Amino acid sequence: MNDTERSAARMRSPEGIRGSLHDFLKIAVDKGAVDSVLAPVKVPAENSYAWILMNDPAVIESASPVAPVMPVQGAKALKSLTRKGKGESRILAVMRPCEIRAGIELMKLNQVHFDNIVLVSYDCPGAVPFQDYVKDPGFSEESFGKMIASGRPGEENIKPACGICTEFSIVDSDIHFGYFGVDEGSAFVIPVSEQGAELLDAIGLDRDAKIADWESEISSIRDKRTKKRTETLSAAGERIKGLDGLINAFRKCIGCHNCMSVCPICYCRQCYFDSEVSKKDPDFIFEIAEKRGAMAFPRDKVMFHAGRMTHMSLSCVSCGFCTDACPTGIPVAEIFSYMADITQPTFEYIAGKNNGEPLPLRKFEKKELPLVHEIVKSAEGEEGSDE
Amino acid sequence: MKAKVGVYVCECGPNIASKVDLDRILETLPALDEYREIELVVKKYGLLCSADGKNYLEEEIKSNGFTHLVLGACSPRDHNKTFIGVCKKTDLNPYLYKIINIREHCAWIIPDKEKATEKAISYLRGGINRVLYQSSLFEKQLDIDPDVVVIGGGIAGIETALSLAGEKRNIYLIEKSGKIGGKSSRFSSLLPRQGKGLALIEEKIEKVSANPFIKVFLESSLESIIGFLGNFEIVVKSKNGNTDIKAGAIVVASGYGLIDPLSSESHSYSESDDVYTSLEIEEMLKEHGKIMTKSGKEPASVALVHCVGREEKGYCSRICCNYMIKIARYLKDQSDAIKVTEFHKGLCMPDKGDQSFHKAMAERGVEFRRIQKITQDGTKISFTGMDGSPGNADFDMVILAPAIVPSEDTDSLAELLEIPVSETGFFQEMHQTTDPVATSIDGIFVVGAAHSPKGITDSIFFAQAAAGRILTHLIPGEKIVPEVKVTEVLEAFCTGCQNCLDVCVYGAISYDESKGVSVVNEVVCRGCGNCFGSCPSGALRTKHFTNPQLYQEVREAIR
Repeated sequence: MNDTERSAARMRSPEGIRGSLHDFLKIAVDKGAVDSVLAPVKVPAENSYAWILMNDPAVIESASPVAPVMPVQGAKALKSLTRKGKGESRILAVMRPCEIRAGIELMKLNQVHFDNIVLVSYDCPGAVPFQDYVKDPGFSEESFGKMIASGRPGEENIKPACGICTEFSIVDSDIHFGYFGVDEGSAFVIPVSEQGAELLDAIGLDRDAKIADWESEISSIRDKRTKKRTETLSAAGERIKGLDGLINAFRKCIGCHNCMSVCPICYCRQCYFDSEVSKKDPDFIFEIAEKRGAMAFPRDKVMFHAGRMTHMSLSCVSCGFCTDACPTGIPVAEIFSYMADITQPTFEYIAGKNNGEPLPLRKFEKKELPLVHEIVKSAEGEEGSDE
Repeated sequence: MKAKVGVYVCECGPNIASKVDLDRILETLPALDEYREIELVVKKYGLLCSADGKNYLEEEIKSNGFTHLVLGACSPRDHNKTFIGVCKKTDLNPYLYKIINIREHCAWIIPDKEKATEKAISYLRGGINRVLYQSSLFEKQLDIDPDVVVIGGGIAGIETALSLAGEKRNIYLIEKSGKIGGKSSRFSSLLPRQGKGLALIEEKIEKVSANPFIKVFLESSLESIIGFLGNFEIVVKSKNGNTDIKAGAIVVASGYGLIDPLSSESHSYSESDDVYTSLEIEEMLKEHGKIMTKSGKEPASVALVHCVGREEKGYCSRICCNYMIKIARYLKDQSDAIKVTEFHKGLCMPDKGDQSFHKAMAERGVEFRRIQKITQDGTKISFTGMDGSPGNADFDMVILAPAIVPSEDTDSLAELLEIPVSETGFFQEMHQTTDPVATSIDGIFVVGAAHSPKGITDSIFFAQAAAGRILTHLIPGEKIVPEVKVTEVLEAFCTGCQNCLDVCVYGAISYDESKGVSVVNEVVCRGCGNCFGSCPSGALRTKHFTNPQLYQEVREAIR
């Protein structure tokens, strides 16, 4: 849909965006536009949120479409529902932009099918780091509530990946809720796809609001974020330069593979590094230990991360789950985002876009070859100057 | 059972023996069995690929009862098949043998004998460790289809079809236009003897129509193709719908086109001027019997301009000099009074008889003018001579020899057939000098001007060469052995992402919707390993190149 023609509906709620989205879910199910809703709901112990697929109005009443934390990447929930093709039921899924982008990547890998899914995104203020939330849910709820009320993206008490996120607003969803910089209590309901527009029509939301001011607000925030992202990631790049840099970065790794388990893109049934094939023979390990004089365990720390990086950096959407899940505080997301911001432009590819462009490794273009060669050469040059 | 590995290093005459210390290998390698539970027999031999050498090896395998065999010899490209043949005469499965290249990889590239020897030893150690992880593989035999699909009904395609068609072999000739004969049937006459040659082409066209074993598809094109040598499945798209064809080989004879003279800045070409391409002159002559200007008069002066677009294309079109002299003769035959000037940048006269033809025409008054640069605007020509002096002249008629370019369907055909095109845009042959009619895909051949600019004679050479290859490779009633080292899917690991489908160049992989996993057609698979590399979850395993095999070889080699 052409941006210049974009017009939106407007929803208001005393509870701001959270109220509007909540109302929207109820209306969509009430009017039969969708069969069920996939959204976060607070767990009974009140110390986390879970993805719940629901069609019971009472359960929907308890949904928290904009949750302060992200315990499980939404794309993973979508994958569980649609990995074998479209289901019977038409589902409205409310997700953060990074979750939708991860879902789109999984769709390109045939792990998610969008045929019966209506994706709803919203201006994302960021998410509270999971450990912070678990330690003090009360404080986290309060600070997140203030963040939402401010109508601006958060700057404190959010995941590091959120602080440098440039895709915090409209993505290739079906419907987007824009509220950054909009009058308090009000949100624009923007149709992104044909399907989204049809759904808005079906539930009778008139589209008469002009959103140019909101658009310029988003683009000014994005500019600031882009600057911050570039600075943060280039500093990260400096830290992981060369093999020594990488070894240092992952020195704390305990080999739990949490980063892989929570990563929405890592879609293998079994990771090579968990397989028997990857296990080295003890006699070989002894031999290496003898040659080096010492041996650290677990083995293959850098190999694991580098291997995962080669497999998924082209699809990395910088959602930051890996950092969130690391028990030893390694800034995994920063390192992977740094890599992603190099590999994706190399193939003129942007992860998370649903524009018919296939994954770069699934098509071959001759012109890419010299480009890759140049990047390798320049990387070798950098290595060389270190010596 | 304890493995008993035979290791034989070949002297390759002086090729290996003079650069690698084979005796040191014989002393060093047996130490391997100290930590590996294996029995090693390490020996050297003069020339293993000789008849004596093969017999020797066969006897050694039989008498020692080897469980595995490693050869330190030449590139597997040279003699892997030779030694597989030796293994087949024994009880040793050929896939429990491995050739290690200590000639090209060691002897020929490392001047220091000691270093070359060390490298050879580490390679051999890798090879010994690898064979222990190899598994027996068993060959299958497949029926073949001797029929052949020929794409393009020009002279090259016609000649291929006529050379191959017979009782036990049907030919399917696919022609995009409404009749066969191609561009040469549009010529007025042929080189070097005018007149008679053309009748011979007509005769060939008639023979095709009369041949019951040649089926011609007019106004048709290739729609899809899957398969491999001996078993291609092709869909031909015609006006009346699609036809499925099974064939054993495919010959591409898609011909050529001419570069648009306007694509060169130094030339002009328009309807209103008396400027023609060589092909237009042939057609004019064939139709009207005379070369005339647009106003219907005989031209008093004609400029023949060679090499139009040659600089832009970067190659010589090879046949234009000859046909331009042929056109000069048309003109002189028409009237000796016509002043004919040929502007060229050096003549290409490669065939016997060419030179005397040129001489004869020069004697009949055709002016051959070698120039450095030429600019042609309508019938006005300005040029720079070889001595750097400028000149210009106005003619009644200008005839251009535009560069020969690949036919317009070349790229789409290349994509369908999955064979490469070269930098010049013509199809890429397997090897320019030693294997000119084969392509990178077994069973697909390229002939005629689809390969490179060619005259009729060379097109016929190529057609007959391809026919010869097919006659010896696809013998009706004989079977072929498909690739054994194919890839298999470990279903438990497959997530159904279908990366492998995209990277498979042979169309060997399909997706099983109900199971949600990829399926490899082992007959079509060539074991290239593309899919193996594209699978993130290790669900694909290429036989004979499994992770443990590669890992154990490298591990031991760098130990």
